[in-house]
Amino acid sequence: MTANLEARVRPGGPRARPGRRPPLLAAAGTLVVVAIALAGPLIAPYGPAERLGLPFQGPGGRHPLGTDFLGRDVLSRVLWGGRTLVLTAIGATVVATVVGMAAGVLAGLASRRTGEVVSRLVDMLTVLPALLLILVLAAGFPGSDLAVVAAVALATAPFSVRVLGAATRRIATTGYAEAALARGDGRWAVLLHDVLPNIAGPALADAALRLVAALHLTATAGFLGLGRGAPTANWGRMVSENLSGASLSAAPFLAPTLLLVLLSVCVGLLADRFAGIASGGRR
Amino acid sequence: MSWAVFVGRRLALAAASLAVLSGVVFAATAVLPGDAVSAVAGVNASAEDRARVRASLGLDRPVVERYAAWASHALRGDLGTGFVGNRPVAQVLADRLPNSVILAGLTLVVAAPAAVLLGLWSGLRAGGAADRLVTTSAQVAAGVPEFVSAALLITVLSVRLGLLPRVSLVPLGGGPFDAPRTLVLPVLTLTGVVTATATRLIRASVADVVASPYVEAARLNGVRGPRLALRHVLPNAAGPAVQALMLAAGALVGGAVVVETVFDYPGIGRELEQAVAARDIPMVQGIAMASAAMMLLILLLGDVCGRSLDPMRGERR
Repeated sequence: MTANLEARVRPGGPRARPGRRPPLLAAAGTLVVVAIALAGPLIAPYGPAERLGLPFQGPGGRHPLGTDFLGRDVLSRVLWGGRTLVLTAIGATVVATVVGMAAGVLAGLASRRTGEVVSRLVDMLTVLPALLLILVLAAGFPGSDLAVVAAVALATAPFSVRVLGAATRRIATTGYAEAALARGDGRWAVLLHDVLPNIAGPALADAALRLVAALHLTATAGFLGLGRGAPTANWGRMVSENLSGASLSAAPFLAPTLLLVLLSVCVGLLADRFAGIASGGRR
Repeated sequence: MSWAVFVGRRLALAAASLAVLSGVVFAATAVLPGDAVSAVAGVNASAEDRARVRASLGLDRPVVERYAAWASHALRGDLGTGFVGNRPVAQVLADRLPNSVILAGLTLVVAAPAAVLLGLWSGLRAGGAADRLVTTSAQVAAGVPEFVSAALLITVLSVRLGLLPRVSLVPLGGGPFDAPRTLVLPVLTLTGVVTATATRLIRASVADVVASPYVEAARLNGVRGPRLALRHVLPNAAGPAVQALMLAAGALVGGAVVVETVFDYPGIGRELEQAVAARDIPMVQGIAMASAAMMLLILLLGDVCGRSLDPMRGERR
């Protein structure tokens, strides 16, 4: 009875439990989309900017997915258009995690007052809509994919700082970190041997969540026409370019849309599982 | 802590945040390469024309001086005039902000009950299969970009079934309520994201309350079912739940850029996108401050509601 009750009232997120299968389907889905994105340009039948026929031709014949609003082959553009998206999102996640890790660890180890100041600053940054940040930065460097990477990283990093700062503070106030400091270990030694190994798990789970957000923001940036300019293919921009012809041919915007759905759902499922494992292992 | 101190402290913090943010946004728009001259004078303008336009816009003065001028005017309620089209910023805000607020308000009307029900339902079953289904689908739904769900909704409801208009053509000089059918797709798109975000936050606070000794005692006393949920769990989870909803709603105010662009909805987000593209500093500044102020106000409201709804008044449970 008690065990039953306990199982029912146990708080917290979904966790890894013995009976749960690993998320093979989500991993496979992610791999497929990432493979299409990275290797696509190698197998694309046409170039991304070649005009080959009338706009908005239906699927069939030489164009398995039809043509887009300028008469370009949709299949080729889909195959060309994912690379930047995936690489930008991954790059931004790496930058955000590194920044979040550095700032979070420093804030977590600093005096309580410094930590407070950092968390107030971080709170202020999170009030700013992420898209405003991205719009402003991308307008400063028109047509630059690196600007999008920096902007997405800047928009997601504050959340990493908050999470990892809290994680560091939790470790730094445990008995063994305090004991290490008391027996005369230097701050760097404590950081290296006591703090970092313990926040590696939360950092990984946090990076997975940041990747979800980064994909979301990167795709949206593409949709709004930020990053490298018009003739280049980009799944986000393909949706906005071809939405006006939705009643003529749905394939030009449905193909990138469905790939984006598959990618964000699969990565979301993986991140959810990661977060579950990290929080399950901690308690 | 008395109410006066609590609200006063939050207001001071909000004002400080606004001041810092205004500096950050101004610096970002001013320091980055490029300026509004191309948008005003045209791409093919000669060097002399460009210099004249730059001087007439005041862009030849140092950044700090321009910011000081902007700030002193803004404090007196004058947000200046946009570089492009010479529209007063306050006028644009007065025209567009209500439309965005309508969009956000309608979204909340749909999303709030759904999020509370789902959050309560799954929080009461924390760790179970139903809870896992709800949390995971919420996590996944929150990760799908808005324009993607908008595109899917357009395909099904507007292209295949022909039920709803694809763009929000609001009659000139009228508000969105003059064409209510145009509101459905934007609201549906935003509802998905907001419901997903708020459900996760509400579920977490419900699960915390459910695990508290207070609820365990009630359960051991034989209270169960709807009575346990409504009389014991909900009052304790209501405060955080309201805060969660407010947080999700705050993100809507600035985050509706995408949805307004997809549906050509005349709101503040689309205006912001155009202003940023033209490097129209006064307009960007005005809209950014307005949305940050809305967000801070909403967060403040959330804090006040959360505090007044919390039976423990901020004491540790």
